[in-house]
Amino acid sequence: MSRLQKIPVVEEKKGNPLARVFDDLVRFCRSRSLFILHYCTGCGAIELPPAMTSRFDMERLGIQPMVSPRQADILLITGYVSIKTLKRVILTYEQMGSPKYVVGICSCTVNGGMYWQSYATAKKLDEYMPVDLYIAGCMPRPEAVISGLQKLMDRINSGEADSWQDYYRNYDYYLGNQQKLFGEDWQTPTDIITEAKHYELMGEGTLGQHTRLLEQHQKPLEALEMRLGHNIKEPVE
Amino acid sequence: MRPENYEAQRQPPSNEYELNFGPNHPGIEGNYALKVKLHGDIVLEAKADGGYLHRGFEKLMEQRLWIQNIALVPRICVPDPSPMELCYSMAVEELCGLKVPQRAQWLRVMQLELSRIAAHLFTFGGHAATTGMYSTMYWGVADRDLLLDLFEEFTGGRVYSIYNIPGGVRRELPEGFLQRLTETLDYIESRLPDYDNLFFKNQVFVKRAKGTGVMSREQALEWGVTGPNLRATGLAFDVRRDDPYLVYDQLAFDIPVEESGDAWARTLVRRQELMESIRILRQVVEILPDIHGPIRAPIPNPLAWNVPAGETYTRVESSKGELCYYVVSNGGPKPYRVHVRGPSSMHAVQVLEKMSVGSRIEDIAQTMFSLDACPPEVDR
Amino acid sequence: MSQQVAHWLDNLLKEIEGIEVRRKSSRRVRVDVPADALPALLELLQGRAGYIHLSAISCVDWIDDDEFELVYHVWSYESHSLVSAHIRIAREPGVYLSVYDLYQPAAFFERDIHEMYGIHFEGSPNMEKFILTEWDGPPPMRKEFDSEAYINEHLSWQEYNPEWLQELVAEGGGVIIPPEEQRFSQKKK
Repeated sequence: MSRLQKIPVVEEKKGNPLARVFDDLVRFCRSRSLFILHYCTGCGAIELPPAMTSRFDMERLGIQPMVSPRQADILLITGYVSIKTLKRVILTYEQMGSPKYVVGICSCTVNGGMYWQSYATAKKLDEYMPVDLYIAGCMPRPEAVISGLQKLMDRINSGEADSWQDYYRNYDYYLGNQQKLFGEDWQTPTDIITEAKHYELMGEGTLGQHTRLLEQHQKPLEALEMRLGHNIKEPVE
Repeated sequence: MRPENYEAQRQPPSNEYELNFGPNHPGIEGNYALKVKLHGDIVLEAKADGGYLHRGFEKLMEQRLWIQNIALVPRICVPDPSPMELCYSMAVEELCGLKVPQRAQWLRVMQLELSRIAAHLFTFGGHAATTGMYSTMYWGVADRDLLLDLFEEFTGGRVYSIYNIPGGVRRELPEGFLQRLTETLDYIESRLPDYDNLFFKNQVFVKRAKGTGVMSREQALEWGVTGPNLRATGLAFDVRRDDPYLVYDQLAFDIPVEESGDAWARTLVRRQELMESIRILRQVVEILPDIHGPIRAPIPNPLAWNVPAGETYTRVESSKGELCYYVVSNGGPKPYRVHVRGPSSMHAVQVLEKMSVGSRIEDIAQTMFSLDACPPEVDR
Repeated sequence: MSQQVAHWLDNLLKEIEGIEVRRKSSRRVRVDVPADALPALLELLQGRAGYIHLSAISCVDWIDDDEFELVYHVWSYESHSLVSAHIRIAREPGVYLSVYDLYQPAAFFERDIHEMYGIHFEGSPNMEKFILTEWDGPPPMRKEFDSEAYINEHLSWQEYNPEWLQELVAEGGGVIIPPEEQRFSQKKK
């Protein structure tokens, strides 16, 4: 979080006095309809069904599970992330639409937890993607999960939960850590730099040595030509 | 290095295609993936892709003290953690020649059967959700929570109880616990007719599950299938009865068997096992007050504990099947080698791969949940 | 009945040369065989004694003896006993025969041992990686692989005294445990 606080936030004077009211309203609405991506990365996922279903009932807070990353708001990292999973988690995170929030559940996301000695799990989640909130515990009870998510709602409401912007502003840092773990030619299908330009979130840390390395290895994605079933012909040799 | 499913591959035009099924998919149990080759929606070939939950348990256990591993082992199977602790404790006891007091053995049986009921309720929930019946999931998870409350009361932990230590159990029962246990059992038993109407007799489920994922008894034996999945093909084998541990030889219980070997039979076996577990727990409640004595055998200082050299293979019936630990000690303060044989290492890999072939893609989830495959056991 | 079966089994096992049978309890038998006699033993157990269930194949790395120990646990549904057949193979080159043609479950265990220990099984249907598909280090379960050194090289540790914790401590809460006190293995050195 300390890194987040160092980022200078430029307050723009807006001409329209209603603009701020509108922003507040948007934030309020956002914090009351949250969709959690249904991706069980580790053992903490076992406490999510009780938290979602009748007994603890997260739905009364407007929080629901969602199966596809494109429509989800929250990426819950429920426990240890093995390095193989971490790649998929990063791909998933980049596919989610902004604003998006990352919540690290279980001690393993904070410091590796009881798997600190394991060669297969990543130790610090916030090296690879910005984390809004950690819920520590092994594993946190459903009450803790819900209270943590309420805290996230408060932070969204007050506008503090803006880690997704941090990913664009400091992309070079995160990419560097990813490259260190996955190898130099690591790349994802999502073009974060263009997105950062689009959102006007280019910061000092967006570009750097690691993004230059990425450009070296990046292969442009081509669209596949569209084929319809009835037009299929055998390729002519 | 990039994720292997990143680049779309150009293929010659064909009606066959490949699909990555998981790891982020609601039809997959846990964090697991299948690569399937399809023709239309018929599966031609399926390949399991595990390792998403790999933590290197076996390596970790070689690096920690014998007593530290007790906290580590329940994490190997998240929905049904208690047999893991028991199996490891039994292995260490066998190596040290520790004799577990009677009362501890009965308490262990109680913990195991409670855990079995909780795991089965959770499986029903997940299985029902794959057929779109979310009410069963809500009920199953909510009723499982009552058992978790009991766990919390007598072990201190909701999910991972860490109740067993080599030599016995950690805690004595709280006052009035058996009374509350009886009440919970009565409640769960009274709920079963509701479950029957909602799920087990529901035509939506019956028509979907009958004839899905069929295996014959010969196939099951050939593929190394164990547990409820084996009993669903008509072979009455249960480690609790045929290779007894703890005090199971003093308990009366039946081994439910179904003949047809499909997803429906497997679910029905679990449904009947729930009743058997309740029956066992009732016997425990009756007998436990008459058994007095210590709850654990004295062990040396656990932080400087050299277990005598040797090797042992212990087997336990978990809710998923045959769970085994092969533990080797070289006389040192840490295990020399621990090999975990989770029942799902067969069910989730080879059996699932073979049973998916020829089925329709939407039945893969049905097959996987009815096999009760638990990916963390495979990946370890 | 079971004694009869046990006696019969002991006689049966005498047919193989160089075999050492130890009965550990009424349901556990330990058998040590030379590596080249194992397929014959398993065939005998499966075909004539009903040991049709391969429970597991375990591998132990005896680095001091420069050997791998492979343990085949087979269970009989008829006589209700478990035979553990132990063999030793040389650590280099670490090649052994697959028993897939006798027991299909062997495919998973052999694949697992192959990626964790690097032992190659001739005739096994699939020796591709399963769990460690995106791992390019050495086989991690070998004793010479030091996972802590690997972590120190590839991953970074969480800071154990971050700013926010210092704030908490100043308010009278939180506990700071320095890493050297947390880790047994580092404490020794």
